[in-house]
Amino acid sequence: MIYTIRMGLLLREAVSAPYRNLVTRPTGAAVRTRIEATLANTQCLTALLDFSDIELVDLSCADEVVAKLLLTVRTAYFVVLQGLREDHHEAIDHVLRHHRLAVAAVPPNSHAPRLLGWVAPDAREAFACVSESGPLDVTGLSRDLGWSVARSREALDELTVHRLVRPFGDLYYPLPTA
Amino acid sequence: MTRVIEVPTHFDDRSFDTFAAGFGEWPPSEKVLVDARATQWASPYGLIAILTAGQALAEAKREKPLLTVPTSDEVKRYWARAGFFNQAAELFELHGKVPRSGATGPSDVLLDVTPVRASEDVHGVVHKISEGASRILHGELRLEMKATLRFSMALSEACQNIVEHAGTGGWVAVQAYTFRRRLGRRVVVIAVSDAGVGFRRSLESAHAKRFGDRWGDGAALEAALIQNVSRFRDPGRGQGLAFIKRFLDQWEGKISIRSGTARLSIVPPWDEDVPMSDHLPYFPGAQVQIIIPAQEEKSR
Repeated sequence: MIYTIRMGLLLREAVSAPYRNLVTRPTGAAVRTRIEATLANTQCLTALLDFSDIELVDLSCADEVVAKLLLTVRTAYFVVLQGLREDHHEAIDHVLRHHRLAVAAVPPNSHAPRLLGWVAPDAREAFACVSESGPLDVTGLSRDLGWSVARSREALDELTVHRLVRPFGDLYYPLPTA
Repeated sequence: MTRVIEVPTHFDDRSFDTFAAGFGEWPPSEKVLVDARATQWASPYGLIAILTAGQALAEAKREKPLLTVPTSDEVKRYWARAGFFNQAAELFELHGKVPRSGATGPSDVLLDVTPVRASEDVHGVVHKISEGASRILHGELRLEMKATLRFSMALSEACQNIVEHAGTGGWVAVQAYTFRRRLGRRVVVIAVSDAGVGFRRSLESAHAKRFGDRWGDGAALEAALIQNVSRFRDPGRGQGLAFIKRFLDQWEGKISIRSGTARLSIVPPWDEDVPMSDHLPYFPGAQVQIIIPAQEEKSR
C-alpha cells in the first residue's frame, strides 16, 4: 500500500501561513518531522510525497526534507516523489548527489519513475529496466541487459540498499507509484 | 565630539571601503553622524550598508547615530520608495525632510529594503519576490524561465546565511538597474548585509586550525565560498553557496562577499574586480552582493 502525503498541506501546517515555497532549514525540519509522524501512524511501506502544490524548493529545504528523510527512514520505508517540476528536480538531485543518496521520482502524467541523486551507472540502468519490465530476478536482468550474473546482482543489491526496488524472494519489484 | 562619516556621492560596492574607513576603530568611541547630503545615487548594497552600520552601533551600545538625508529630492524620493527611511528611522536620528514612501516602490525595485531576522522573514522575502522576479529576469534580462526559480533559491540561501550564521538580524534588497560603465547592460542585484559575527568568527571553531597562521577574514571567506565549508558538522551544510556559484557561472554573474577586513569575489569576464582584497577597513558582519546581467544574444 502507498500513503500519499501532500507536501503543500504539511508546509502550510508547519509555517501556519499560506506560503507555497519550501524554503529554510527550520521549515524543512518541521515538514520532515510531520512526515515521519504521519508514516509512524500508518501500516504502509511506501510513502508518495506529492509536491504538486509546491512552488519552490530551495537547497536547504531539499536537504532537510528529502535527504534527511532518506537517511532517517532508510530501513523502514520506500519513498517516491511525485508532482515535481524541473527546478524541484534540480535542487533535490543536487543535495542527494552530495550525500550519495537517490530517490525515485514520478514525472507528471507518467507512472515510469526516474532516479534523482547518485547511484552507480549500472544501478541506474537496472532501475530503468526493472521499472519498465516489472519484477525481475538476477537472471532476468542479466538476460535483458546482456550482463553477467555477478554484474546484475551487484546492481540490484545497490538498488536494494537505496530502497529503490522491493526484493521479495528471488524477485526485485519496482516501487509502486499509483 | 562627533565623528562625521560621509556617504560617497555614488555609493556602491566599489565606494564601500571609503565609507567603512570613515568609522576608524570599531566601534567608534564618538557619536557618529552619517552624512548623506551629497549622495547622488546608492545601490541596494550601499543602502543596506548604512543600515548595517546603524544596527552595529546599536548593538555595540553606542549613542544613536545621526543621519542627514540626501539634499536631492529625487534621491530622497528614490530612497523612500525603496523603503530605506522606514528602516533607518529605527536606527538613526534622521535629519532633513524625509518624503513619505509611496504605496509601491519603483518598478526596478524588486524587493524593498527588508529586514531578515528569522526564517519566517525568508519565507516573506521569497514570497514577495516571486512576481516581479519573472518580469525582470525573463522579460528584461532575457534569462530562461527557470532562472526565476533559481534566482529565488539563491535569494533564499543568501538570506538564510544571516539567520544561521550572523547571530543577529540583517537586511536584503533587490533591484534592477543598468551597469553603464562596467557592462553596458541591465543587471539584477541582490544585496544582503548583516551586522553579525562575520565569516571568520562563525567558522573559527571548526576550521581555523587547518589554516594555521593563514587564518583570518580572507581565509574564512575562501573556506566558505571556494571550499563550501560550514560551521555546522551536518554534512548537508555548505551547499547553498556552491549552488549559487554554479548558476552564476552559467549566467556570467558575479558574487562577492565582504566580511571584516576582506572581500572575495568570483569575477566574471566582463568585470575587472580582483578576486581577493585583504587588509581593507574593518566593517562589522558580512555583506554579500550577487549580480546577474542581462544575457547577450549569443548566450540565449
